[in-house]
Amino acid sequence: MATVPSVQEVSLRPPPAGIGATLAWGVFFLVLIWSWQGADMRPFDLLKDSDNMRVFAREFFPPDFHEWRIYLEEMVVTVHIAIWGTVLAIVCAIPCGLMSAENLAPVWVYQPMRRLMDACRAINEMVFAMLFIVAVGLGPFAGVLALWVHTTGVLAKLFAEAVEAIDPRPVEGVRATGANALEEILYGVIPQVLPLWISYSLYRFESNVRSASVLGIVGAGGIGVVLHEVIRGFEYAQTAAVLIIIIVSVTLIDLVSARIRQWAI
Amino acid sequence: MMNSQPTPPAIEIRRLGKTFPSCKALDDVNLTVATGEMVALIGASGSGKSTLLRHIAGFVAADAGEIAVLDRVVQQDGSIAPDIRALRAQIGFVFQQFNLVNRLPVVTNVLVGLLYRVPVWRSLLMRFTVSERQRALEALAAVGIEKFAWQRAATLSGGQQQRAALARCLVQEAKVILADEPIASLDPESARNVMELLAQMNRERGCTVVVSLHQVEFAIKYCRRTVALHRGRVVYDGPSAALTPQLLGELYGADAEELFGMMLDSPALKIPADKGMAPLLAA
Ligand SMILES: Nc1ncnc2c1ncn2[C@@H]1O[C@H](COP(=O)(O)OP(=O)(O)O)[C@@H](O)[C@H]1O
Ligand SMILES: [Mg+2]
Repeated sequence: MATVPSVQEVSLRPPPAGIGATLAWGVFFLVLIWSWQGADMRPFDLLKDSDNMRVFAREFFPPDFHEWRIYLEEMVVTVHIAIWGTVLAIVCAIPCGLMSAENLAPVWVYQPMRRLMDACRAINEMVFAMLFIVAVGLGPFAGVLALWVHTTGVLAKLFAEAVEAIDPRPVEGVRATGANALEEILYGVIPQVLPLWISYSLYRFESNVRSASVLGIVGAGGIGVVLHEVIRGFEYAQTAAVLIIIIVSVTLIDLVSARIRQWAI
Repeated sequence: MMNSQPTPPAIEIRRLGKTFPSCKALDDVNLTVATGEMVALIGASGSGKSTLLRHIAGFVAADAGEIAVLDRVVQQDGSIAPDIRALRAQIGFVFQQFNLVNRLPVVTNVLVGLLYRVPVWRSLLMRFTVSERQRALEALAAVGIEKFAWQRAATLSGGQQQRAALARCLVQEAKVILADEPIASLDPESARNVMELLAQMNRERGCTVVVSLHQVEFAIKYCRRTVALHRGRVVYDGPSAALTPQLLGELYGADAEELFGMMLDSPALKIPADKGMAPLLAA
């Protein structure tokens, strides 16, 4: 039997913050100072060149919407790229995510699978897009492939984390009836993680619409192609119009997707 | 009556031992449960009840000893039988925390009891035939909650969820039911209801039932035989009627209070020790 400590023995003051916290703050500020040089930080230039900036900013107004039909068409293509990139990624992320979950897969499965997903995630969509353009040529399909690979890596990790946080008891309840491993997953695991999975997938769709709008800069189709052309031609009024279309579309999609997420959970 | 072929015991446990890093959870447990018996398993919390039941269902491998259920090996010398799934299909397991899948409808939770029998391609598509669904609904009706069939399990009260778990055992046509503190999280009314259902399944369907309980009064009321565990050892195996406060005091010392709580104050339950059969004091 452990003896119960009396109130007198316990200090009323919280224990003092350890040396660790002080050290961590010190390191943090050292890193900030060290990065100043590398990042070529010149805050005063912002003030010095403020007149230039003002002239530059004025060129964006009023936005030039003469070609709005083309912009809108390309924006729709951008959304199409995001839809297919995300859907293919979800399909692949389900098995890859289940195989990366510590509580489902043996170590010799989940470790290699996680490393593979890390690799997919570590490389930016733009890089994948440039590579796929070499393989399948310029255009939206290269963008779809780029989003697919990168998003699979992201969603597989998120899906696996959701699986690792489940309540194991219902799964054991299913196991107790003599069900096999796949049935355990389908009846015990998936129902528990489904709302989170849906939510993550929609988030990724939103973020893929944003990514797809710049994929065109490297030639992978969509509104990015237009954006790249108008910026390169110093057509700032048109650039403003394209940016407004992107902002409005992305905001709309975020709103709709937030609604779907609420409704799905 | 002729009894040329004696029926094998429903559960046979020999020299079972299990040590966790923190403690000895099961210590040389020997236990035989005949077909059709309803046995209570009592013991203070931490005495090893859950651990024992989980070994019988083959969820955990023991360090030593062997377990057979329905004359088939569950585990032997620390390795679980490779065909354990076939055996689990015949064992109904009822958990304290219900262990239903909250987001699935009650009827799907019950249909899970059929998974072993349904062809895999159909179970992976989550398709069940009309007659299978009919069976699930009949089982739900038998435990009195058929009108909640299409609600999510999470929307049911504790007592209703536990009845759904019993309905799952019914569609499973389990020959052996292991219930791990099935009434510990329930109000008294639901607790009685669940114990009545277990007793009914034992009486009318011939299910062998092992039910672990925290309170002795339920053991006395519903089970003729009680097995008492204390720190992983079987310290009593005999008629429940002989479990007097005095005997429990002897078996459990200070822990006894946890087991019979209200029993101490209720004179109706004070059975003189000499009236019951002589208890088989193990250890
Ligand atoms: N998975 C486990 N790991 C370590 N110790 C465990 C584990 N399961 C049970 N125990 C220990 O075994 C003992 C018996 O536990 P348990 O069977 O749950 O008791 P009861 O069900 O009678 O309350 C306890 O001391 C508990 O801490
Ligand atoms: Mg327990």
